This record gives sequence, structure tokens and C-alpha cells, in this order.
Amino acid sequence: MAHETEHTSNHPTFNQYVFIAIVLFAITIVEFGLIWDRIGIADDLGVTKIPILIGLSAIKFAIVIMYYMHLKFDDRFFGTVFIAGLVLAFVVGGALITLFIGFEAKPREYALAHAVPYEGHEAAEEHAAEVVEPGTGAETTVASGPVELAVGVVGETLAFDTANITAKSGSEVTITFKNSSANNQHNLVIVQDGTKDEVATDGTTAGPDNDWVAPGDARVVANTPLLASGASGEVIFTAPAPGTYQFVCTFPGHNFTMFGDFIVN
Amino acid sequence: MAHAVEHEYTTTGLNHRKMLMWVFLGSDCLFFGSLIATYMVYRGQSLVGPYPIDIIDVPLTTVSTFVLLMSSFAMVQALSATQADNKKGLVTWLLITAGLGAIFIGFQIYEFNSFKNEGLTLGGNLFGATFFTLTGFHGAHVTLGIIWLLAMAYIGGKGRLGPNTVLDVELLGLYWHFVDIVWIVIFTLLYLIGGFDAGPVPIPSP
Repeated sequence: MAHETEHTSNHPTFNQYVFIAIVLFAITIVEFGLIWDRIGIADDLGVTKIPILIGLSAIKFAIVIMYYMHLKFDDRFFGTVFIAGLVLAFVVGGALITLFIGFEAKPREYALAHAVPYEGHEAAEEHAAEVVEPGTGAETTVASGPVELAVGVVGETLAFDTANITAKSGSEVTITFKNSSANNQHNLVIVQDGTKDEVATDGTTAGPDNDWVAPGDARVVANTPLLASGASGEVIFTAPAPGTYQFVCTFPGHNFTMFGDFIVN
Repeated sequence: MAHAVEHEYTTTGLNHRKMLMWVFLGSDCLFFGSLIATYMVYRGQSLVGPYPIDIIDVPLTTVSTFVLLMSSFAMVQALSATQADNKKGLVTWLLITAGLGAIFIGFQIYEFNSFKNEGLTLGGNLFGATFFTLTGFHGAHVTLGIIWLLAMAYIGGKGRLGPNTVLDVELLGLYWHFVDIVWIVIFTLLYLIGGFDAGPVPIPSP
């Protein structure tokens, strides 16, 4: 075909390819400079660097398809076919993102508040009720769907990775606590508001055999067993009356920094 | 095969094989677009660590990004050498391209391994699931490209590539450059922008 031989001669020369490679390299260096905090631009720019980064990568994208993939020199129809796919990808991606973060930007809370328990889960719930901590009001009717919460540890610092967790009163709450610390043992104890230090003090007396929790302590709503480093444990209980409670690690000394609020609404 | 292509009858006047490659690349945009959108939807939604800021190594990945960009340069040189009927040059450039691709994959294997050691797994949290699925499929594309490059280098080594079979090399080049531009997007979104995400954060508005 005549036009094929024609456009072949229009392909960039070696020097032009080198130039393009240098431009791509330079843009990558600029991108890196924008985000590398040791250079100091990253903090000055704040979030404005995000559109800049997207713009720069769009330029790289365009350079590669125009020159390396010859769209600039080739028949426009190839470009049309490719761009059609690209546009479709943007539409699908945009739709997906809008769908998921359109609910006042709170998909998780929205899902929790609107979740309807699936009838088939009843058997699982009954099974869960059997392992409810004693004395936590397992007989209370389940007001809403089960709530599953996950809490972890911030490395070797004596702190939980979340400052507060929330559940609806009367709901079946499962807290999965993962002790990701390499050295420390931890537990997670839900207690009445303001009693975390007293519970921990009494727990110290009770000793490790009682998971550092005094048996029969009325201020304790529920607790996980004492977890060795790397271990996970869960506690299943019915969320008590609305109000603020605390969760704390009662391993001796940890209660001063390792606690958070458990809010029941 | 390829030399007959020039005379093949097509309704559009455009080569069928080349059209097929562009249609495939257009559809692959959708494939990666969906995976990238999924990553963005779940960005900052992991309830447990490790979070990106704990483990993403931006300087290291900037180096591997550079390696992949340079492999695209080597790829266009391979195509130029094929057009110029430089049989030795085309094999050399194809092997350089494959080598740079292999270095990129080496970086990825190292990265995946160190992430795994720090506790990031496919099933551990949302970040791990979306990160490994996206970058893993990209790595699979690169690996396929390396195999294709080595196969072409082998054919070239037998002296069977030249101006008559330029299209064979060009199609490989299109695929390879596409893999490169997908990485440009992934690098920007997952590393430069998303690499500093911590635990649950307010979701950025679209």
C-alpha cells in the first residue's frame, strides 16, 4: 500500500527516539521530585500535586502512543479503535468509582447502617450466640444486623490502630483483634466508660492466667483472650445500652496508651 | 506469511493483523481500567495494615519504572533495525528489550516478596487484594511480552526477520509499549499518589 511506505519514512529518526527517551526519563524524575519529601516540594504542594502528577503521566502516555506506537504517523483508524477502548475504560472506571463513593463518601458506614441480615445467616448467628461472653446479655434481642469490627496494633508502639469503634445497641458485634506486634502480648477488653485503668489494675492482680482480667468484673462488657504476638482472637457479644464505652489492653502498663472509645448508638 | 500481508484484501485498506492488535489493546484498556478503578474504590479502605505508607518503596519503583521506559526505547530500535534489514542489530535490540523487561520483573518479584514478608497478602486486606491483582496482572503481561521478545529474537537469529516481516516486530512493539503505558498509569496512581496512604482515610472525591 502506498501510504504504508510513505509513513514508514516519517518515522522518527534515531536521534528523535533518543530525545523522546530523555523526555520520558526527565518527566519521571520530575514526578519523583514532586513527591519525595527530602526535596521539600511535596509538602508545599499538598494535594495540588495530584493533578500535576496525573497531567505529567498523561503526557508520558501520549508521547509513547504517538511516537513509540506510531499513532501520530499511522492511519487514524487505529487510533480511533484504541482511544474508543480507552474512553470506555474511563467511563467504566468513573462509573464504578462514582457508584461506590457517591454515598456521601461513606460507603462503609452507609453499608453498615443499611445492611439487612440475610435469612440464611440465622444459623450462623445462633452459633455465634453460643460463644458469647457470659453475663453480657446474650438474651437481648438482636436489634440490627451483625457488626464486624477489626482492630489491630500499631507495630511495637503500645497502641491500637483505631481510636474509636462504633456499633448499634443490641446488635451482634464481632471484634476481630489482630496482635501484629512482634514482641508484645495484648488483649482487648471492652469496659464501662472511664474505668479502663481500674479494670487494668484489678486485672494485674488477677494475673496472666485470667488473661489479665479479674474474673466476674462487672465493669467488663466483654474481652478477647490474651493474644501472643502475631495471634488473632475474636470476641462476640451483644452491644450494650447506648453510650460511650472504652476498649483497652489490660496487659500491665499498656492501659495508659493502648485504649480507645467504643461508641454504642 | 507476513510478506503476503501487503497484498491482502481488506475492506478498510488497513492490515487485519495490525487492526486486531489495536482492537486487543483497546479492550485491554478496559481490563486494566476496571482493575485500576477497583483499586481506587478501595483505596484507603483497609481496616488493618500493612498500609501503603508502611511498605511502598517509591525510590525503588522509580528505578524499575525507568528500566521499563528504557525497554520501550530499545524496542523502537529493534523495529528500526528490522526496517533497515540490520539482522544483527534487531536481534541485539530485541534481547536488550527482553533483558530490561526481565530486570523489571526481577524488581517486581523482589517487591512482592518483601511485601509478603511484611504481612501484605492477597487475602489480608483490601490494599493487598487490589494491589496484587492489578500489579500481578501487569507483571503477567510483561512476562508474556518477554517470552514473545525471546521468540522473535530466536527467529531473528535464524535470519528470518527483515524488511518483509517488519509487521511481526511492529505488533510485538505495540504490545510492549502498551504494557509500558499501563505501568505509567499504575506507577502514578499506586506509587506516586497512593503510596503514602495510611489507614482508613476520607475517600478522595472523584
